[in-house]
Amino acid sequence: MRRRDFLRAGGIAAALPLIPRTALANSVVEIAMAGRPDGSRVWFDPFGVLIRPGQTLRWTNLDKANSHTATAYAPENDDHPRRIPEGAAAFDSGYLLPGDSFEVTFALPGVYDYYCIPHERAGMVGRIVVAEAGQGAPADYPGGDLDPEVLAGFAPVADILAQGALYHEEP
Amino acid sequence: MTRLFATAAATALAAAALVAGPALAQDAAVETSPPDAPYQKVSDLVPLPDFLPGIGELFVDPATLPAGPFMAYDRDGQLVSTIYMIPISAMNADTGFDNLAAPGGNVDHVDIYFNAGHPGVAEPHEHIVLWHVPVADETRVAE
Repeated sequence: MRRRDFLRAGGIAAALPLIPRTALANSVVEIAMAGRPDGSRVWFDPFGVLIRPGQTLRWTNLDKANSHTATAYAPENDDHPRRIPEGAAAFDSGYLLPGDSFEVTFALPGVYDYYCIPHERAGMVGRIVVAEAGQGAPADYPGGDLDPEVLAGFAPVADILAQGALYHEEP
Repeated sequence: MTRLFATAAATALAAAALVAGPALAQDAAVETSPPDAPYQKVSDLVPLPDFLPGIGELFVDPATLPAGPFMAYDRDGQLVSTIYMIPISAMNADTGFDNLAAPGGNVDHVDIYFNAGHPGVAEPHEHIVLWHVPVADETRVAE
Protein backbone atom coordinates (compact mmCIF):
# COMPACT_ATOMS: atom_id res chain seq x y z
CA MET A 1 0.00 0.00 0.00
CA ARG A 2 1.39 3.36 -0.97
CA ARG A 3 1.73 5.94 1.78
CA ARG A 4 -1.04 8.14 0.51
CA ASP A 5 -3.39 5.15 0.28
CA PHE A 6 -2.63 4.32 3.88
CA LEU A 7 -3.25 7.88 4.94
CA ARG A 8 -6.44 8.07 2.93
CA ALA A 9 -7.78 4.93 4.52
CA GLY A 10 -6.67 6.12 7.93
CA GLY A 11 -8.33 9.48 7.50
CA ILE A 12 -11.63 7.94 6.57
CA ALA A 13 -11.46 5.36 9.31
CA ALA A 14 -10.76 8.04 11.88
CA ALA A 15 -13.91 9.91 10.98
CA LEU A 16 -16.35 7.08 10.31
CA PRO A 17 -17.05 6.00 13.90
CA LEU A 18 -18.35 9.46 14.65
CA ILE A 19 -21.38 9.31 12.36
CA PRO A 20 -23.94 6.77 11.18
CA ARG A 21 -23.08 5.14 7.85
CA THR A 22 -26.48 6.02 6.41
CA ALA A 23 -25.57 9.70 6.56
CA LEU A 24 -22.82 9.16 3.99
CA ALA A 25 -25.12 8.38 1.08
CA ASN A 26 -25.16 11.04 -1.64
CA SER A 27 -23.44 13.53 0.55
CA VAL A 28 -20.00 13.87 -1.00
CA VAL A 29 -18.87 17.41 -1.81
CA GLU A 30 -16.01 17.77 -4.30
CA ILE A 31 -12.98 20.05 -3.91
CA ALA A 32 -10.46 20.29 -6.74
CA MET A 33 -6.74 20.77 -6.23
CA ALA A 34 -5.83 22.89 -9.21
CA GLY A 35 -3.18 25.11 -10.71
CA ARG A 36 -2.00 26.89 -13.78
CA PRO A 37 -0.12 24.68 -16.24
CA ASP A 38 3.15 26.48 -15.48
CA GLY A 39 2.70 26.14 -11.72
CA SER A 40 2.65 29.88 -11.12
CA ARG A 41 -0.61 29.68 -9.14
CA VAL A 42 -2.19 26.84 -7.20
CA TRP A 43 -5.49 26.66 -5.33
CA PHE A 44 -8.33 24.65 -3.82
CA ASP A 45 -11.63 25.01 -5.64
CA PRO A 46 -13.85 25.83 -3.89
CA PHE A 47 -11.52 27.33 -1.31
CA GLY A 48 -14.39 27.93 1.08
CA VAL A 49 -17.33 25.58 1.50
CA LEU A 50 -20.31 25.05 3.79
CA ILE A 51 -21.39 21.49 4.61
CA ARG A 52 -23.70 19.82 7.10
CA PRO A 53 -22.51 17.52 9.89
CA GLY A 54 -22.08 14.02 8.49
CA GLN A 55 -21.22 15.15 4.99
CA THR A 56 -18.06 13.98 3.25
CA LEU A 57 -15.54 16.09 1.36
CA ARG A 58 -13.49 14.59 -1.44
CA TRP A 59 -10.33 16.33 -2.61
CA THR A 60 -9.04 15.34 -6.05
CA ASN A 61 -5.77 16.48 -7.60
CA LEU A 62 -6.66 17.83 -11.05
CA ASP A 63 -3.28 19.52 -11.45
CA LYS A 64 -1.34 17.50 -14.03
CA ALA A 65 2.03 18.97 -13.13
CA ASN A 66 2.08 18.99 -9.34
CA SER A 67 1.27 17.06 -6.20
CA HIS A 68 -0.83 18.46 -3.39
CA THR A 69 -2.06 17.68 0.10
CA ALA A 70 -5.15 18.54 2.15
CA THR A 71 -3.75 18.93 5.65
CA ALA A 72 -5.62 20.26 8.70
CA TYR A 73 -4.16 23.09 10.70
CA ALA A 74 -3.34 21.26 13.92
CA PRO A 75 -0.27 20.64 16.08
CA GLU A 76 -0.29 17.01 14.95
CA ASN A 77 0.56 18.22 11.44
CA ASP A 78 4.10 19.60 11.59
CA ASP A 79 3.30 21.66 14.70
CA HIS A 80 0.92 24.00 12.93
CA PRO A 81 -1.50 26.12 14.99
CA ARG A 82 -4.85 24.49 15.74
CA ARG A 83 -7.58 25.78 13.43
CA ILE A 84 -10.06 22.94 13.67
CA PRO A 85 -12.66 22.30 16.39
CA GLU A 86 -11.56 20.70 19.64
CA GLY A 87 -12.07 16.96 19.37
CA ALA A 88 -11.91 16.89 15.57
CA ALA A 89 -9.43 14.59 13.82
CA ALA A 90 -6.36 16.31 12.32
CA PHE A 91 -6.71 14.96 8.80
CA ASP A 92 -3.78 14.79 6.37
CA SER A 93 -4.08 13.33 2.89
CA GLY A 94 -0.37 12.85 2.33
CA TYR A 95 0.86 13.75 -1.15
CA LEU A 96 -1.74 13.20 -3.87
CA LEU A 97 -0.40 12.75 -7.39
CA PRO A 98 -2.55 13.83 -10.38
CA GLY A 99 -5.85 11.93 -10.34
CA ASP A 100 -5.59 10.81 -6.71
CA SER A 101 -8.38 11.55 -4.23
CA PHE A 102 -8.82 11.75 -0.48
CA GLU A 103 -12.02 11.82 1.58
CA VAL A 104 -12.91 12.97 5.07
CA THR A 105 -16.31 12.89 6.74
CA PHE A 106 -16.99 15.76 9.11
CA ALA A 107 -19.15 15.08 12.14
CA LEU A 108 -18.34 17.96 14.47
CA PRO A 109 -19.71 21.44 13.69
CA GLY A 110 -17.22 24.25 13.46
CA VAL A 111 -14.58 25.85 11.25
CA TYR A 112 -11.84 23.69 9.71
CA ASP A 113 -8.85 25.41 8.13
CA TYR A 114 -6.43 23.37 6.06
CA TYR A 115 -3.45 23.80 3.76
CA CYS A 116 -1.38 22.14 1.07
CA ILE A 117 2.02 21.20 2.51
CA PRO A 118 4.22 22.21 -0.45
CA HIS A 119 2.11 25.27 -1.27
CA GLU A 120 1.20 26.83 2.05
CA ARG A 121 3.62 29.67 1.47
CA ALA A 122 2.00 30.23 -1.91
CA GLY A 123 -1.33 30.74 -0.12
CA MET A 124 -2.92 27.41 -1.04
CA VAL A 125 -5.27 27.10 1.92
CA GLY A 126 -8.94 26.33 2.37
CA ARG A 127 -11.75 26.65 4.88
CA ILE A 128 -14.64 24.34 5.65
CA VAL A 129 -17.61 25.42 7.74
CA VAL A 130 -19.63 22.55 9.19
CA ALA A 131 -22.98 23.79 10.46
CA GLU A 132 -26.59 22.70 10.74
CA ALA A 133 -29.16 24.77 8.89
CA GLY A 134 -30.12 27.72 11.05
CA GLN A 135 -27.26 27.17 13.43
CA GLY A 136 -25.54 30.27 14.82
CA ALA A 137 -22.57 31.47 12.81
CA PRO A 138 -19.21 30.25 14.08
CA ALA A 139 -16.48 32.84 14.43
CA ASP A 140 -13.39 33.29 12.30
CA TYR A 141 -10.16 32.22 13.94
CA PRO A 142 -8.16 35.18 15.21
CA GLY A 143 -5.09 36.15 13.20
CA GLY A 144 -1.53 36.34 14.41
CA ASP A 145 -0.69 32.63 14.27
CA LEU A 146 0.14 32.48 10.56
CA ASP A 147 1.92 34.66 8.02
CA PRO A 148 -0.26 37.42 6.54
CA GLU A 149 -0.11 35.95 3.04
CA VAL A 150 -1.46 32.67 4.39
CA LEU A 151 -4.22 34.34 6.44
CA ALA A 152 -5.28 36.28 3.34
CA GLY A 153 -6.19 33.00 1.66
CA PHE A 154 -9.03 32.14 4.04
CA ALA A 155 -12.53 33.11 3.02
CA PRO A 156 -14.47 34.89 5.77
CA VAL A 157 -16.90 32.57 7.55
CA ALA A 158 -19.75 34.99 6.87
CA ASP A 159 -19.10 34.79 3.11
CA ILE A 160 -19.08 30.99 3.19
CA LEU A 161 -22.35 30.92 5.13
CA ALA A 162 -23.92 33.39 2.73
CA GLN A 163 -22.78 31.78 -0.52
CA GLY A 164 -22.29 28.12 0.37
CA ALA A 165 -19.15 27.78 -1.71
CA LEU A 166 -16.49 30.23 -2.87
CA TYR A 167 -14.56 29.50 -6.05
CA HIS A 168 -11.17 30.62 -7.33
CA GLU A 169 -11.24 33.28 -10.02
CA GLU A 170 -8.25 33.70 -12.30
CA PRO A 171 -7.15 37.33 -12.72
CA MET B 1 5.06 33.06 11.79
CA THR B 2 8.55 32.14 10.84
CA ARG B 3 8.38 28.48 10.06
CA LEU B 4 10.95 26.15 8.64
CA PHE B 5 9.15 24.21 5.97
CA ALA B 6 11.26 21.11 6.35
CA THR B 7 9.46 18.15 4.82
CA ALA B 8 9.99 14.48 4.39
CA ALA B 9 10.72 15.28 0.78
CA ALA B 10 13.56 17.58 1.74
CA THR B 11 14.90 14.92 4.06
CA ALA B 12 14.80 12.40 1.25
CA LEU B 13 16.67 14.76 -1.01
CA ALA B 14 19.32 15.38 1.62
CA ALA B 15 19.76 11.66 2.15
CA ALA B 16 20.05 11.15 -1.57
CA ALA B 17 22.75 13.81 -1.68
CA LEU B 18 24.81 11.81 0.78
CA VAL B 19 24.40 8.68 -1.31
CA ALA B 20 25.28 10.52 -4.49
CA GLY B 21 28.99 10.46 -3.70
CA PRO B 22 31.75 12.57 -5.16
CA ALA B 23 30.73 12.56 -8.84
CA LEU B 24 30.24 16.06 -10.18
CA ALA B 25 27.20 17.19 -12.12
CA GLN B 26 29.23 19.05 -14.73
CA ASP B 27 31.13 15.88 -15.60
CA ALA B 28 28.10 13.68 -16.18
CA ALA B 29 26.80 12.65 -19.60
CA VAL B 30 23.36 14.18 -19.90
CA GLU B 31 22.30 14.04 -23.56
CA THR B 32 19.87 11.17 -23.06
CA SER B 33 17.77 9.87 -20.20
CA PRO B 34 18.80 8.73 -17.70
CA PRO B 35 21.82 11.00 -17.24
CA ASP B 36 24.89 9.69 -15.45
CA ALA B 37 25.29 9.83 -11.68
CA PRO B 38 25.08 11.93 -9.61
CA TYR B 39 21.82 12.82 -11.34
CA GLN B 40 18.74 11.11 -9.94
CA LYS B 41 15.15 11.02 -11.13
CA VAL B 42 13.21 13.71 -9.30
CA SER B 43 10.05 11.59 -9.06
CA ASP B 44 12.08 8.93 -7.24
CA LEU B 45 13.16 11.51 -4.67
CA VAL B 46 9.94 13.41 -4.03
CA PRO B 47 6.23 12.79 -4.68
CA LEU B 48 5.86 14.28 -8.15
CA PRO B 49 4.62 12.76 -11.43
CA ASP B 50 7.29 11.06 -13.58
CA PHE B 51 6.47 13.38 -16.47
CA LEU B 52 5.56 17.01 -15.86
CA PRO B 53 3.54 18.59 -18.68
CA GLY B 54 5.42 21.59 -20.01
CA ILE B 55 8.70 20.42 -18.48
CA GLY B 56 9.24 16.72 -19.14
CA GLU B 57 11.01 14.07 -17.10
CA LEU B 58 13.31 15.71 -14.55
CA PHE B 59 16.64 14.66 -13.10
CA VAL B 60 18.81 16.50 -10.58
CA ASP B 61 21.96 16.06 -8.56
CA PRO B 62 20.47 16.41 -5.04
CA ALA B 63 23.66 18.09 -3.84
CA THR B 64 22.85 21.08 -6.06
CA LEU B 65 19.41 21.84 -4.62
CA PRO B 66 17.52 24.06 -4.70
CA ALA B 67 19.11 25.79 -7.70
CA GLY B 68 19.96 22.77 -9.82
CA PRO B 69 20.57 22.34 -12.73
CA PHE B 70 17.57 20.10 -13.34
CA MET B 71 17.85 18.22 -16.63
CA ALA B 72 14.55 17.75 -18.52
CA TYR B 73 13.87 15.05 -21.13
CA ASP B 74 11.10 14.34 -23.61
CA ARG B 75 9.24 11.03 -23.79
CA ASP B 76 11.92 9.65 -26.13
CA GLY B 77 14.61 10.34 -23.55
CA GLN B 78 16.17 13.28 -25.41
CA LEU B 79 17.37 16.30 -23.46
CA VAL B 80 15.19 19.35 -24.09
CA SER B 81 16.11 21.83 -21.36
CA THR B 82 18.23 22.69 -18.35
CA ILE B 83 16.29 24.33 -15.52
CA TYR B 84 17.47 26.33 -12.52
CA MET B 85 15.06 26.95 -9.64
CA ILE B 86 15.89 30.07 -7.65
CA PRO B 87 13.89 30.76 -4.45
CA ILE B 88 12.35 34.21 -4.38
CA SER B 89 13.87 34.77 -0.93
CA ALA B 90 17.32 34.24 -2.44
CA MET B 91 16.87 37.08 -4.89
CA ASN B 92 18.42 39.76 -2.76
CA ALA B 93 21.64 41.71 -2.31
CA ASP B 94 23.22 39.15 -0.02
CA THR B 95 22.66 35.97 -2.01
CA GLY B 96 24.15 34.74 -5.24
CA PHE B 97 24.57 31.52 -7.19
CA ASP B 98 28.00 31.24 -8.78
CA ASN B 99 29.28 28.72 -11.30
CA LEU B 100 26.13 26.67 -11.68
CA ALA B 101 26.79 23.66 -13.90
CA ALA B 102 25.51 23.93 -17.47
CA PRO B 103 26.16 20.52 -19.02
CA GLY B 104 23.36 20.58 -21.58
CA GLY B 105 25.21 22.16 -24.50
CA ASN B 106 23.90 24.79 -26.89
CA VAL B 107 21.02 26.97 -25.73
CA ASP B 108 18.37 27.98 -28.27
CA HIS B 109 16.35 30.31 -26.05
CA VAL B 110 15.50 31.00 -22.41
CA ASP B 111 12.23 31.14 -20.43
CA ILE B 112 11.94 32.65 -16.95
CA TYR B 113 8.72 32.30 -14.98
CA PHE B 114 7.35 32.12 -11.44
CA ASN B 115 6.47 28.82 -9.78
CA ALA B 116 4.42 28.61 -6.59
CA GLY B 117 6.44 25.63 -5.35
CA HIS B 118 6.34 21.87 -5.42
CA PRO B 119 7.75 18.99 -3.38
CA GLY B 120 11.52 19.33 -3.29
CA VAL B 121 11.49 23.10 -3.81
CA ALA B 122 8.47 24.08 -1.70
CA GLU B 123 9.36 27.75 -1.50
CA PRO B 124 7.98 29.95 -4.28
CA HIS B 125 10.72 30.35 -6.85
CA GLU B 126 11.63 31.29 -10.41
CA HIS B 127 12.19 28.70 -13.11
CA ILE B 128 15.02 29.71 -15.42
CA VAL B 129 14.75 27.39 -18.40
CA LEU B 130 17.58 27.02 -20.92
CA TRP B 131 15.95 25.35 -23.89
CA HIS B 132 18.23 23.17 -26.01
CA VAL B 133 15.56 22.80 -28.69
CA PRO B 134 13.76 25.38 -30.86
CA VAL B 135 10.54 26.97 -29.62
CA ALA B 136 8.51 24.79 -31.96
CA ASP B 137 9.91 21.67 -30.34
CA GLU B 138 8.71 22.61 -26.87
CA THR B 139 5.64 20.60 -27.80
CA ARG B 140 7.74 17.48 -27.21
CA VAL B 141 7.12 17.99 -23.49
CA ALA B 142 3.71 19.64 -23.66
CA GLU B 143 1.81 16.54 -22.54
